[in-house]
Amino acid sequence: MAEQAAGGMNRRTLVKTVVLSGAALTAGLPARALLAAGKAPETVRVSFFLETKPTMIAKGEGWFDKLSGSKCAWTEAGSGAEINAAFAGKSVDIGLAIGSSPTASGISQRLPYELVGMVDNIGPAEEMVVRKVANIKSVADFKGKKVATPFGSTSHFRLLGFLKVNNLTQKDVTVLDMKPDAEVAAWTRGDIDAVYVWSPAKAKMLEAGGELFTTYKDLDAKGYVIADLIVAGTEFSKAYPDALTGFLVAYRNALKMWQTSPDEAAAIVGKQAGVSAEVAKHDMEEYDFVPFEKQLTAEWLGPPGKAGKFADVLKRTADFLVEQKSIKSAPDLSAFQAATNTTFLAQAVKAAG
Amino acid sequence: MTEARAITQGRSRLPEWAITGVSVAVLIVAWVVATDGGFVDDLFMPSPSSLWSGFMDLVVDGYKSRTIWEHAGLSLERVLAGFVTGAIAGTVIGLAMGYNRVVEACFSPFVEFLRPLPQLAYLVLLIVWFGIGETAQIILLFLTAFPVSAIAAMDGVKSVSRQRVQVARSLGASDWQIFRFVVFPSALPEIFTGARLAIGVVYATLIAAEIIAGSTGLGWVILDAGRFLRSDYVFVGILAIGLMGLSLDYMLVAIEHRIVHWAGRY
Repeated sequence: MAEQAAGGMNRRTLVKTVVLSGAALTAGLPARALLAAGKAPETVRVSFFLETKPTMIAKGEGWFDKLSGSKCAWTEAGSGAEINAAFAGKSVDIGLAIGSSPTASGISQRLPYELVGMVDNIGPAEEMVVRKVANIKSVADFKGKKVATPFGSTSHFRLLGFLKVNNLTQKDVTVLDMKPDAEVAAWTRGDIDAVYVWSPAKAKMLEAGGELFTTYKDLDAKGYVIADLIVAGTEFSKAYPDALTGFLVAYRNALKMWQTSPDEAAAIVGKQAGVSAEVAKHDMEEYDFVPFEKQLTAEWLGPPGKAGKFADVLKRTADFLVEQKSIKSAPDLSAFQAATNTTFLAQAVKAAG
Repeated sequence: MTEARAITQGRSRLPEWAITGVSVAVLIVAWVVATDGGFVDDLFMPSPSSLWSGFMDLVVDGYKSRTIWEHAGLSLERVLAGFVTGAIAGTVIGLAMGYNRVVEACFSPFVEFLRPLPQLAYLVLLIVWFGIGETAQIILLFLTAFPVSAIAAMDGVKSVSRQRVQVARSLGASDWQIFRFVVFPSALPEIFTGARLAIGVVYATLIAAEIIAGSTGLGWVILDAGRFLRSDYVFVGILAIGLMGLSLDYMLVAIEHRIVHWAGRY
């Protein structure tokens, strides 16, 4: 009897605690968001790629922490898909340098994030490398060849665009899903004839009997533009606009450093990414780091409230992904325009003067 | 006290299959309510209808230039090739290890080292050594099945009672006869247990194997669909791979019952 009563009490207390803490949580969250607006959060959870880009300057020198006024908690991502999954699980605030194709699929799947800036326009930095001995000189020579690329990446998107534009199907060309390190391994053995990928894998294969087969100019002109972007959780950008602006200012400063003193910038980036300064410099020279002022024009993301041409690129990318049966459906262009929010980018330009 | 017993007895009169049926039904109802009721986003858990349409989609149109049957068939081929070769080689070595301490001393460091090693750790090495074809994938699965079977067979031999061996010897049996008629049959139940464990781990390694140079196989389909958060395809893939694994296991159990029907009864 006594035991039973005690058990009942415990249970009641437990229920009470759960209800109370639940209420505190639900009531607390919006209040915290309201109170905190303009203030900095304690930590900003950033998912990033370890790569040779000016982002690594701002990370390595602690500018992101300093200018956002928070401690950045860095998690390295292996692919844009991982960043998307992290946003779906609400465990990240900012995705740094996520590719345009995973972003297009994320927006299509109504992930709770918005596009707030661009890291770079990829341009020739991701390109087809063919093995010299495979004797690939024209598009027709790709028939019967094996081409590897990491599926779901911007390179994969470009490669599929290349096949489509040239009326090749995946029956003519064997397309293999391989991570960059696996590509290098298979390339060394001579198992694959071509790859579509980025550096350092790309540079390694160019050294080991590869040559470039330029596709990007034609593909960019036909709308298969690929870029690396900055996305921020919508709840986060609403609650902490200043922190987000500061984060962007930090990247802007890093870009400036790359433009004004490239050697110093390359040394820092190399140290962060674990490569030599020369390699870092060479890698960065291939990217088109679009200045913030230019990002704010209709050519790219557009001024606040008036999404630029890049929303069209995202829409086309999403439609293509639907065609490939990677995603179920793509929303209208307006959804991509609505998901583009350059308010913070404009603030960052103003703040830096 | 008596009341409680009456209740449990009353419950136990329900046959097990009915209890299983009820538990599956409860899960399905909870799933329908949670998804169709709009409590859970499609991204996290597809509704039964979207799962069905995803399934039909895969059956009718296939996934990325191959039908779903081709993907399943390729996966099955890989699993069987890796499992059969790995289990046979592992059993042979394991029997020898159990029977002869020199053989055991020679092989046990490798077998023990290999068994807990995560396959992803040496994935790139396998590509460098064996290329990106089926060979590398089957070798990966072979290496997974091998140590599990070897250790099971070795333990099986070691657990044979000394008395039986001594009786056989005193009756004048040769070493080979002792192995053939006493040790091997006594070790068979453990060998089968090892085989069931091995097919389990081979199955679990399938996704890692199909990462090597993907674009085929159920494991790769799940991986690729997961990249775009296509939870409907992921769930269909998981169901397919799970049912396939279950039927393989049942097949092994059926064979086991035929061959070692006396297990646990002597």
